[in-house]
Amino acid sequence: MYQVTVEPTGDVVDVEEGQTILDASLRQGVWLPFACGHGTCGTCKVQVLEGDVDIGDASPFALMDMERDEGKVLACCAIPESDMVIEADIDVDPDFLGYPVEDFEGTVVAIDDLSPTIKGVTFELSRPIQFQAGQYINLHMPGVEGARAFSIANKPSENSVLELHVRRVPGGAGTGYIHDQLQVGDTLSVSGPYGQFFTRKSAPEDLIFIAGGSGLSSPQSMVLDLLEHGDTRQITLLQGARNLSELYNRELFEGLAQNHENFTYVPALDNPLPEDAWEGFRGYVHEAAIAHFGGQFAGHKAYLCGPPPMIDAAITALMHGRLFERDIYMERFLTAADGAEGATKSALFKKI
Amino acid sequence: MSNRKINMKEKYRLLTRDLDWEYSYRDYKEVFPQQEFEGIKITDWSKWEDPFRLTMDAYWKYQAEKEKKLYAILDAFSQNNSQLNVTDARYVNAIKLFLTGISPGEHQAAMGFGQVGRQLGGVGARVACQMQAIDELRHVQTQIHAMSHYNKFFDGFQDFSHMHDRVWYLSVSKSFFDDARTAGPFEYMVAIGFSFEYVLTNLLFVPFMSGAAYNGDMATVTFGFSAQSDEARHMTLGLEIIKFLLEQHPDNLPIVQRWINKWFWRGTRMLSLVAMMMDYMLPNKVMSWQEAWEVYFEEAGGSLFKDLARYGIEMPDYAQTAIAEKEHISHQVWSMFYNYGHATAFHTWMPTEKEMDWLSEKYPNTFDKYYRPRFEKWREMEAAGERFYNPTLPMLCQTCQIPMGFTDMEDPTSIFYRQSEYDGERYNFCSDGCKDIFDHEPEKYVQAWLPVHQIYQGNCGGPSMEDVLGNYYKINLGVDNMDFHGSPDEERWNIWHNLQPAEDKLKQAS
Repeated sequence: MYQVTVEPTGDVVDVEEGQTILDASLRQGVWLPFACGHGTCGTCKVQVLEGDVDIGDASPFALMDMERDEGKVLACCAIPESDMVIEADIDVDPDFLGYPVEDFEGTVVAIDDLSPTIKGVTFELSRPIQFQAGQYINLHMPGVEGARAFSIANKPSENSVLELHVRRVPGGAGTGYIHDQLQVGDTLSVSGPYGQFFTRKSAPEDLIFIAGGSGLSSPQSMVLDLLEHGDTRQITLLQGARNLSELYNRELFEGLAQNHENFTYVPALDNPLPEDAWEGFRGYVHEAAIAHFGGQFAGHKAYLCGPPPMIDAAITALMHGRLFERDIYMERFLTAADGAEGATKSALFKKI
Repeated sequence: MSNRKINMKEKYRLLTRDLDWEYSYRDYKEVFPQQEFEGIKITDWSKWEDPFRLTMDAYWKYQAEKEKKLYAILDAFSQNNSQLNVTDARYVNAIKLFLTGISPGEHQAAMGFGQVGRQLGGVGARVACQMQAIDELRHVQTQIHAMSHYNKFFDGFQDFSHMHDRVWYLSVSKSFFDDARTAGPFEYMVAIGFSFEYVLTNLLFVPFMSGAAYNGDMATVTFGFSAQSDEARHMTLGLEIIKFLLEQHPDNLPIVQRWINKWFWRGTRMLSLVAMMMDYMLPNKVMSWQEAWEVYFEEAGGSLFKDLARYGIEMPDYAQTAIAEKEHISHQVWSMFYNYGHATAFHTWMPTEKEMDWLSEKYPNTFDKYYRPRFEKWREMEAAGERFYNPTLPMLCQTCQIPMGFTDMEDPTSIFYRQSEYDGERYNFCSDGCKDIFDHEPEKYVQAWLPVHQIYQGNCGGPSMEDVLGNYYKINLGVDNMDFHGSPDEERWNIWHNLQPAEDKLKQAS
């Protein structure tokens, strides 16, 4: 397996032996321009900055000789033969601060039961970490192959700790380890920060956060960060959960809503128990968003974080309410169970 | 920040959009007079996202290298007499269909994008359209060049541009592009830029280009690759126009949906010519039309329409009809052409036993049940010296201009037939899709130049077959048309390859 760094964003993609750069990138949520997918159109042309590559079956009409000489390749048929750095025709967000990825040691200082299925784990770091609210880290656990990604729930100003929200994935090795074996005092290695999910602070629009399950972590960090800096835009957090016991950190946000006029908190339960005596919104969190905003979302920036079906439903709701791709940011919480091999993807959207 | 490298997006903006100017002494509406009459509402052209970032200097550089490569291969093709290496001479008829039916469409597209490129108010969209217009011009030129080699050795190529404006089946593709070009600029973009270039383009190019590759036709494969490297830009432009229109204003949704319904149906009707080419005219088969349809429309189109659903766009009306037709359409269209094989500028024939077995295998639900018996009967008639030619003229669909030979998918043995009345006249349609298109804009489609009507009205050279086919269409009678068996094409092919028809062998032996 090789690592391919995609400039100018700095995203890092793991590419399996024999896998194309495009395939690996799309599967790991790193969008590159593409169309035909088999070397004849040239839409996915990228510049190789470092490393060796097999250019594969690129058509001589889609990748010209002069381009081959310049080190250009088609991502849809290029297969890395070493670690690589490529430059793609993608935009860097002006709000992306590009903090370098570093390695840290994290010692567990607290493990809390946030809900019956979600644990809050707090690490004390060996040294401070610089990150943007919304980004994630990779956690390495003993006996668990590969790293696991978790979004950071604390605000960036608390830079010596990491607060993670970990939902147990049935049969999952990583989340199983955290739920069953991890103890206060354990030390794990952490790397980060990663990801393109962060608050676009330069954008003037009001903000909508839609969170589902342990996907509250990123929005929590983002909201805390915005309020700490005295942001005056309207900020609405919609949090979805199955029932009252799964609706964690509710008191935190209710308190923030009381103290900040520009912050609104809307919890939604889709399947409350009788004993919950729930008087808030009943239904899915995207339905709560439709009800709260009267189905009209134009003029906002929306940030979505949670399981794929929630993200999917939320995007549809937002688009029907006339908020489009350029104003929607998302972090999908994929697990091995979600399977990267989906149906054929159309080229209509970049990130969705 | 001062020494920061500017990224491609900014560079492109500086080199294109900044070339626009404010219209200080003329009214904007005067400069772009066609932008509003279709009902499309554009509130902010700055939201247009350039679908590709290619500057003119880079464009010329790329296209020049593509031409160099293409012509090197075309030269090698002709110097090596590679026309001898195609599978058999029947294959060349697929290329005749391409040159007469498809290449003039590339030219129409060039003119269409040139015209639209003048009418759109946004500079990004104008630049993209102008570049596509030049691409399309390059496509038609390279196609003519590539196929001109076959013109030296086979019949039926010589008058393609003359024929395009006259011959009955070529009016199918001609009227398709005429319809798009006489619509407004946004409908044209949805019709050609999106529905044709994005949704249906693979169903046109893959059958022809793979067909060429499977049948030893290096020249066609190469112009295909050369053109396909431009298609990426065309496809991304098609996607951008749809997204842009849908995001600009909610009132655009029903208009765009209607255009998608219309152009999906018009496109699938036109592609029925490709379906017959794929299943009947390729001696070496690539895949069946049904298989191509499933991969390129049902799968790829399915995922596209799933994404478009987020904008409120639904699967086109009659997509289900088109899906049901995938098991029938190629057989029905080949039957029509076989019927009228004396009036075509290419040869027709009945499939061999082996080819019929392939069709039975690929179309287990329909071929043996509905088509094989008829084809076997026609083959028997031919063997008995009574090759069947239909002596009448067919009724044409007022919208798609294809003979009314498609059947009802509920009852595949009866012809599907619809009628509308407008201004005291009756008009006939092959399908609900075509009738809907007419009913929405009857004042447009009553003006259709229907080849059969025109013949009966005496506008096509005279009353006899010879007048129409020979003088008016310029088909060389007995040479370009009729069955492949017994044609000069077949005779020459046999001589080149020292092949002898069975009856000649018999004569020589006696």
